[in-house]
Amino acid sequence: MTAYFDDKDLAHFGDLKRHNPELWAMFERYYAAAFEPGLLTKREKVLIGFAVAQASQCPYCIDSYTQQALEQGMTMQHLAEAMHAAASLKAGITLAHGLVAHNVDKKVSM
Amino acid sequence: MTGPVPRLLRVLREEPAPSRFARRLGSGGAAGELRAAEVRTLQVNVGKRCNQACRHCHVDASPTRTEVMPDDVLDACLDVLERHPGLATLDVTGGAPELHPRFRELVARARGLGRAVIVRHNLTVQFEPGHAGLPAFFAAHGCEVVCSLPHYTEDATDRQRGRGVYDKSVEGLRRLNAAGYGRGGGLVLTLVANPVGAFLPPKQEDLERDTREYLAARHGVGFDRLITITNMPIARFGDWLRRVGRHDEYMQRLEAAYNEATLDGLMCRSLLSVEWNGRLHDCDFNQMLEMGLAHGLPQRVHGLDVRALAGREILVGDHCFGCTAGAGSSCGGAIA
Repeated sequence: MTAYFDDKDLAHFGDLKRHNPELWAMFERYYAAAFEPGLLTKREKVLIGFAVAQASQCPYCIDSYTQQALEQGMTMQHLAEAMHAAASLKAGITLAHGLVAHNVDKKVSM
Repeated sequence: MTGPVPRLLRVLREEPAPSRFARRLGSGGAAGELRAAEVRTLQVNVGKRCNQACRHCHVDASPTRTEVMPDDVLDACLDVLERHPGLATLDVTGGAPELHPRFRELVARARGLGRAVIVRHNLTVQFEPGHAGLPAFFAAHGCEVVCSLPHYTEDATDRQRGRGVYDKSVEGLRRLNAAGYGRGGGLVLTLVANPVGAFLPPKQEDLERDTREYLAARHGVGFDRLITITNMPIARFGDWLRRVGRHDEYMQRLEAAYNEATLDGLMCRSLLSVEWNGRLHDCDFNQMLEMGLAHGLPQRVHGLDVRALAGREILVGDHCFGCTAGAGSSCGGAIA
């Protein structure tokens, strides 16, 4: 059976360029510039990338940013802290949306 | 005459195909070459015996290895040092070099000749019988001690070097600190970190900063500097890469990260490596691959005139991508 996600696909990410080279080039420039060290270090940006990848559940990005984090001197202990931070925020976000229910209930209930 | 036999003979007569690394040194697909400068460091590998058997070890060292530098080779190394004042540094490695029966004599005599001495020290050998006095010995002879600590966290270090190694290593650092090492004075304590897996090391100064903060806060120990070394895709680490199916990917990673700016600082350009049996090599990695020096050059340390090796052609292979990847890697750490 063919898998939807294959780690070998990551190397072919750039194949998508052929469908719209101009927009792809803009994306590449933007992506590269956003991850250049600025006020935030490269390591901090890699950690942000990892946490977003976890929270967005993108296996390609988790693969890539795990390896980048290791090359930044971090270990699974660092990444575990990052994934718990991301997961707890996701939990908070889910609960915060409960305010909508809370407010609707206040509006329509006696 | 045609057929398979003449074709085989023709193939055998031809020069071996240049490695991908050699072609990278050249241009247009032709092989380039790497040439040494003057030899300034004599790196002596006194044997493969070690009290540890680390998973990344490029020497395949372990407690069961029996290769130990014999007396005539060790004497020849000292003779070469004595006759060549330009050899400013003796770099002693192994295995755990301290397990060699004449280790202390080698260090003391090299220091007596006025040479700087670097000892590649695994920290845990201090806890082997008869070796508790090593920190005091190093201090008395003013050696630079280069200590292996792949990562400042226990889990990562123990996964590579064995369970309990981290705690022993920290205690070893504490004893070196007590002997005056790692306090910013003349006794230099260098940590060597290498990746615990198939990836490149982090930026050396970043890891040095993190390691310094962590070790000071958690354990109250200090060091002078930290260097990073890339894992070489040979020997035990190479075997592991193949076993887990990551060899090709790792080689591609090293090759993709090729950095020309590392070439001038490569250790092979100023170092000569002596194997336990007296055979000469361009570096410790070539030594493990039993490459020797280029054809026509002296191959043994006995009676060696080091001046004959200045400007020599360095033998290269694809493993050399390990020293030119990213910020580069050498016995002195990152290069570029």
